Amino acid sequence: MELSNFSIGHEGREVFWNAEHFEPILFAFTFVALAIFAYGVYRRWLMWTAIGKPEDRTDDRNERIKTLLKNGLLQLKTLADPYPGIMHALIFFGFVVLFFGAAFDATEFHVAEPLGVPFLVGKFYLVFSFLMDLFGLAVLAGVFMALDRRYLTKPDRLGYRGAPDNTADDAIVLLLIGGIIVTGFIIEALRIHVTWQQTPWEVWSFVGWTIAKAFAGVDVGAAKAMHKWTWWIHTAFALSFIAYIPYSRLVHMITTPANYFLENRKPVGFLEPIKDFENAESFGVGTIEEFTWKQIFDSDACTRCGRCQDGCPAYLTGKPLSPKKLVQDLKTYWLEKAPAAVAVRKEQLLADEGEGAKVHPKLKALFGWLNKLDKVVDENLPKGPEPTEKTMVGEVIDLDELWACTNCMYCMENCPASIEHVPKVVGMRQYKVLMEADFAPELQLTYRNMENNSNPWGVGSHLRADWAKELGVKTLAEDPNVEYLFYVGCAGSFDDRGKKVSVALARILQKAGVSFGILGTEESCCGDSAMRGGNEYLYQTMAQANIEVMNGYGVKKVICTCPHGYNALKKDYPNFGGNFEVYHHTEIIAELLEKGKIKIKNPVDDVRFTYHDSCFLGRYNQVYDQPRKIIKAIPGARLVEMERSFGKSFCCGAGGARMWMEEHGARINEARAKQAIDVGAQTIAVGCPFCLTMMSDGLKTHGKEEQMVALDVAEIVWKAMGLEAEPESAEVCQA
Amino acid sequence: MNIVACVKQVPDTEAQIKVKGDGSGIEEGGIKWVMNPYDEFGVEEALKLKEKLGGDVTIVSVGPARAMETVRTALAMGAEKGILIDDPALYNADAYATAEALAAAIKGIPYDIIFCGQRAIDDDSAQVGAILAELLGIPQVTFVTKLEIDGTAVKATRPIEGASVVVATSRPCVITATKGLNEPRYASLPGIMKAKKKPVDMKKAADLGVSGAAKAKVVKFAPPPARPPGKIICADDTPEGKAAELAKLLREEAKVI
Repeated sequence: MELSNFSIGHEGREVFWNAEHFEPILFAFTFVALAIFAYGVYRRWLMWTAIGKPEDRTDDRNERIKTLLKNGLLQLKTLADPYPGIMHALIFFGFVVLFFGAAFDATEFHVAEPLGVPFLVGKFYLVFSFLMDLFGLAVLAGVFMALDRRYLTKPDRLGYRGAPDNTADDAIVLLLIGGIIVTGFIIEALRIHVTWQQTPWEVWSFVGWTIAKAFAGVDVGAAKAMHKWTWWIHTAFALSFIAYIPYSRLVHMITTPANYFLENRKPVGFLEPIKDFENAESFGVGTIEEFTWKQIFDSDACTRCGRCQDGCPAYLTGKPLSPKKLVQDLKTYWLEKAPAAVAVRKEQLLADEGEGAKVHPKLKALFGWLNKLDKVVDENLPKGPEPTEKTMVGEVIDLDELWACTNCMYCMENCPASIEHVPKVVGMRQYKVLMEADFAPELQLTYRNMENNSNPWGVGSHLRADWAKELGVKTLAEDPNVEYLFYVGCAGSFDDRGKKVSVALARILQKAGVSFGILGTEESCCGDSAMRGGNEYLYQTMAQANIEVMNGYGVKKVICTCPHGYNALKKDYPNFGGNFEVYHHTEIIAELLEKGKIKIKNPVDDVRFTYHDSCFLGRYNQVYDQPRKIIKAIPGARLVEMERSFGKSFCCGAGGARMWMEEHGARINEARAKQAIDVGAQTIAVGCPFCLTMMSDGLKTHGKEEQMVALDVAEIVWKAMGLEAEPESAEVCQA
Repeated sequence: MNIVACVKQVPDTEAQIKVKGDGSGIEEGGIKWVMNPYDEFGVEEALKLKEKLGGDVTIVSVGPARAMETVRTALAMGAEKGILIDDPALYNADAYATAEALAAAIKGIPYDIIFCGQRAIDDDSAQVGAILAELLGIPQVTFVTKLEIDGTAVKATRPIEGASVVVATSRPCVITATKGLNEPRYASLPGIMKAKKKPVDMKKAADLGVSGAAKAKVVKFAPPPARPPGKIICADDTPEGKAAELAKLLREEAKVI
């Protein structure tokens, strides 16, 4: 509509003002940009689908779409971290609104106006122009936050060990985004500068209105010429942005939402069991082809934001592992490997038999045509990465890096792109252990101990139930008619410190009148350390032994004191026919307290407790509140939180079979103990025997064993209930 | 190169050993049986030698049916084939009868070098390797911690008190392995799976022309006497009093001073 059609009460603006005849050219350019975009997506799609084993991630579609909307549209995962979350949200939501704005403009011009039903008029127009400016400003604010973060503040997580890994791509993207907005405002301002007397309502376009004042004195002809030029620059930025998406980090606009949709819907930390050991030819992931396509696709959703690295216990204590680096190294390797695989894939698609026979002839003709285009493109554009002969496990991913992972799940829980790091690590470990039998000697010893005595310590398996000798705890062989099986686990059976926790829990359960029994020497190791250390074969042997015994007694409910056993029994045993209701002792104790079956007799004298979240209890199983409730129930106890707690808790260093391995350099448990010392805690409460060992040792290293103590929640309750046995030595001399 | 490694199945070091009521042996129920750890060094060295020089490794064992598991363990580590001499006549074999059976079995196959563990951790006799070498009429080096083979020349290092001695000999010979020779490998899963299908030759005493008659007979098995409980000195509460009481007890009860 012409400018003269608008008036107060019938506000609006002339779409394509001063650019009336650009429209066909704009159309042509847009088409080119979209074609470049589509071609890029096609090339990427070939790469996504060329390497990797099949994996179905399309089940449970409604839930998948919900996740996509929650994390994609509402940005919940990204917003979990305030600064970058807001930064991203400003750009994201800004762009969403501006995209709709541009779409409104186009619809108005091409559809609504020709049909005689313009809608960008009046109050709607005013609100529209206000919002466009507001969100344009939001994007700009986001870009400035990003510039500040990437080039001034430079948090470590945007780099690796202090060296920033900024690329030209990062700068180009910010330039494009910022450029679109700045030029948009300038053309708006120039238009307002020329027309403001006829369109006083343009004050609603508050940014353009304000900038227009800066053009005061510029004559109309010059302003219009500048407007034309800027209009083209604006268009160039916008179309370049679209075309650039699949060739840059902007590809995450496709891959990250896709990754939300494809997210693992199995329990947290679930590892796909290896099936059919007898007939499989290879185990684990030794080559990139042995990853599933989804595991490779993950790496293309990574934007190098570094949230994973920010709480990785291995990275933060100077180990060679960074989850970000791992994913990026795999991505680079994939990009080097992809062209050859894509060539094979194309051959398959174009072949007359096999998979090619299933391709629709028209689609095949398109592939054929695209294939020719690919050749022209590849010959004329700069060459991609050279094909590599590197071996993946050992060269691309360093072995020390691979074995540094504690499986703590921080990276996966905090990754805003839903990348799944831990199964990749375990897959590669499986290759080293099962195929090559090449891994740390101390871990070999652990596995032998598990094989021979069904516990990682290698203590004689006949001693498994000795901790319970004096307690009157019955085995299921003696009395199978009990409500709960107390699955004691190896630490609770063989480790001196762990045995105390077992005794404490048994006493608490007895006092509370809970009906329970143990398996005694019929119990096997849960196998968690074997599974996470890559020895799936040994793990399944352990799991099957336990399941057979437990099913033999008709076990339904299980209590575990060790979150590793808890997690394995709860989530992984169902793979082998072990379906039990599994509880952690803190869940049981919290319930007993709530029901009044536990009476706290001994208050404490203003003791500061801090609770250290065990990874396998917290992030893996969302048991965060029960242990805290228990501590708070003790009169005189004050609970202080460490900076890293709940979902951002810092691992003790013992998960992922690291409990049994040498740790070189700064130790994770010492770093964690320091965090507890720093909040002035007197007692570190834990819910895991591995954490208990690690925290106790950490306190010793810091020379704090006199002032501070690490206790399992069961021990805290045991003391508070007044059940702790009197020290025996006092009685010896009296007798 | 034809390499032979002899293995024995023994109770795990952590296993609870109970002597049978009649003292005729140990209760076998509930025992986890493993490959004698010293034999593992022998198997590992055999495999390393094979990997370096080519050839194959044959595992030879004397024992009941359960010993098959140990033979398979060695096959899973990488040996090619096995011989299990399972005959009730040999169940009470002493070191000599065992070595005799091993020698008879080994005589039937080509061999360039034979590995044994320096001793078995159950009976601790440390004789089988030595007797085997004598019966085969070949040299032996025992307690070997380092082995070098160059053609037929063999150089073996064995520890002696405070030093080590290098012994030169030539193959065929018997090497008994001890800790320090190598780090036995962990079997790979494909190794474990393949081991199930590798050939194991079952032999009886009669097949080998041995009687199994022991030169030494075990008269009786007995557990070590239970350790008496510790004593806490309570009589007097002063350090001097406690010390005096301790001295008295050491002299009169323990009779050590």
